[in-house]
Amino acid sequence: MKRKNTIYEICIYAILIIAFLIVIFPLISVFMASFKTNAEILTSAEKVFPKKLTFENYVLAWNSENFRVGQMLFNSIWYSLTSVVILLFLSSVAGYVFARGEFKGKKIIFAIFTALMFVKLGPITIYPQFETLGRIKLSSSLWGLIVMECFSMPIIEVYLVRGFVNSLPKALDEAARIDGCSFTGTFFRIILPLLKPVMITIGMLGFNGSWNNYLYPTLFTMSRPDQQTLIVGIMALKNSGESASAWNLMFSATVIAIIPVLTAFILGNKHITQGMMAGAVKG
Amino acid sequence: MLKYKLELKEKTSIQLQCYLLIALPLIGFFIFTIYPMYWVGFRSFTFYDLIPGHERIVGFKNYLTALTNVKYWKTWLTLLQFTFIKVPIELVLSLFLATVLSRKLKGSGFFRASFFMPKIISAVIVSVIFTNIFGYFGFANYWLEKLGFISSPIEWYSKKSTAMTLLILGSIWGNFGTNVLYFTAALTNVPEELYEAAEIDGAGRMARFFNITLPMIIPVFQTILLLAINGTLQTGDYVIVMTNGAPGGMTHTPMSYLIGEFVPGFASGTVNVGYGCSIAIINSIIYIIIASIYSKATSNAQNLY
Repeated sequence: MKRKNTIYEICIYAILIIAFLIVIFPLISVFMASFKTNAEILTSAEKVFPKKLTFENYVLAWNSENFRVGQMLFNSIWYSLTSVVILLFLSSVAGYVFARGEFKGKKIIFAIFTALMFVKLGPITIYPQFETLGRIKLSSSLWGLIVMECFSMPIIEVYLVRGFVNSLPKALDEAARIDGCSFTGTFFRIILPLLKPVMITIGMLGFNGSWNNYLYPTLFTMSRPDQQTLIVGIMALKNSGESASAWNLMFSATVIAIIPVLTAFILGNKHITQGMMAGAVKG
Repeated sequence: MLKYKLELKEKTSIQLQCYLLIALPLIGFFIFTIYPMYWVGFRSFTFYDLIPGHERIVGFKNYLTALTNVKYWKTWLTLLQFTFIKVPIELVLSLFLATVLSRKLKGSGFFRASFFMPKIISAVIVSVIFTNIFGYFGFANYWLEKLGFISSPIEWYSKKSTAMTLLILGSIWGNFGTNVLYFTAALTNVPEELYEAAEIDGAGRMARFFNITLPMIIPVFQTILLLAINGTLQTGDYVIVMTNGAPGGMTHTPMSYLIGEFVPGFASGTVNVGYGCSIAIINSIIYIIIASIYSKATSNAQNLY
């Protein structure tokens, strides 16, 4: 019996390790390729590891005139951080209001925002959205996208926060109210500090989503190449005629674009994975 | 009386605070959701190519053109193929891995995290990596040929079947880890005593899986299936980034077709935006129908158990 179990365990580990290797292979390959010269990338693709490590690609990408990695990295950082702050604010406030607030139309408003998850007209709505933003001269910059995010309802995150607030004892609010806190004050003084775990999950996933966002940042930077984020810039380079001769630039930019999200994930993967598992069960 | 008045005053004040706290999304709802919906609905009955003065009402002509557009309906066929191949493979694979990982295995947290990790990688990066690995002189062709699976290198992006394979592969790579997490959560809720009882009764691993695990996680399984199907139906930017419809628009899904043909920056030349609006509306009607059929089927299935 004991022996049977050991063999079983060895099989399990073998399966898991194979799965692990397949999963990380694409990332290993791009990471290694970013240290190859362009000639080596094109001629010996069958080898994962470079003949000798060269940091030349990173230097080239950093100093390139038309592919400004530094500028794009900066854009990615400020855009993602701003987006996350907005997301955290909107989702926590709305989650609290829909959990504890009492106002006319609460149920209907919540139902409408939920139903909107299923009505997806797609990015064709960019025409009227540009029309509106164009009136305040914001249709062609990343700031326009930020403004649009300020006015949106992140309904899935709102659900998460609402569920979390509902699980907190109501006595907390009542105690604060007796001590003279207003409805809004109760949120900032009592509820918000308690939301920390769910805020971390939302923040991590939100940062990741904004960093990787492709479609809308592309639309909003069409006439402003200086505002392109890394993801937008990499895709633009890939779609351009020079892509075959620019694999080295593309790979080094790709690695630069992966490192922040990967670091964030390694630091916070417990919050992300546990948050998602909790969401699934309540779901 | 005074107490009552004070209470009323507080209630009104709370109401006001509630509205103010969610004022931004409420205003945004009208400006960035309702108005665009009205815009798209209205424009779908017009010819509109963004040139001032060209706009005219054409009635149902855009809808008729869309309904008889073979290229457009083929995108639905592609989406069905994509969904029916991808979703089963992904779910079976993740259920299998989750079952293996739910045992008190050393390092299970590490494996779960690394399976989830591809989810944090942008589709654009997946596309860069795949274009390189599956290039004509790329890694995949070299080793597939060397190991005798193919006799000559494949042009992965120039045949529908191979391009679809890449789309499915990339999508499973990116998403299966999420489902592993969901399944793990579901599995930890199955009471341990059930397994112990079955083990005493002499049930093997397989029997335990099919007679205990599977029935116990059916409700969560349906949620996971709904999420997977819903996510797949909306597939749009992913295809734009990975293949951009290559070869010749054959791997377009309805959403990516809409983006590739009608959205500024992706569409080529002047397009009839009104026609695009009618396609967007047909798309969303079909999405809603599928979702409601699915939720009905689910509730029927739940009545059976």
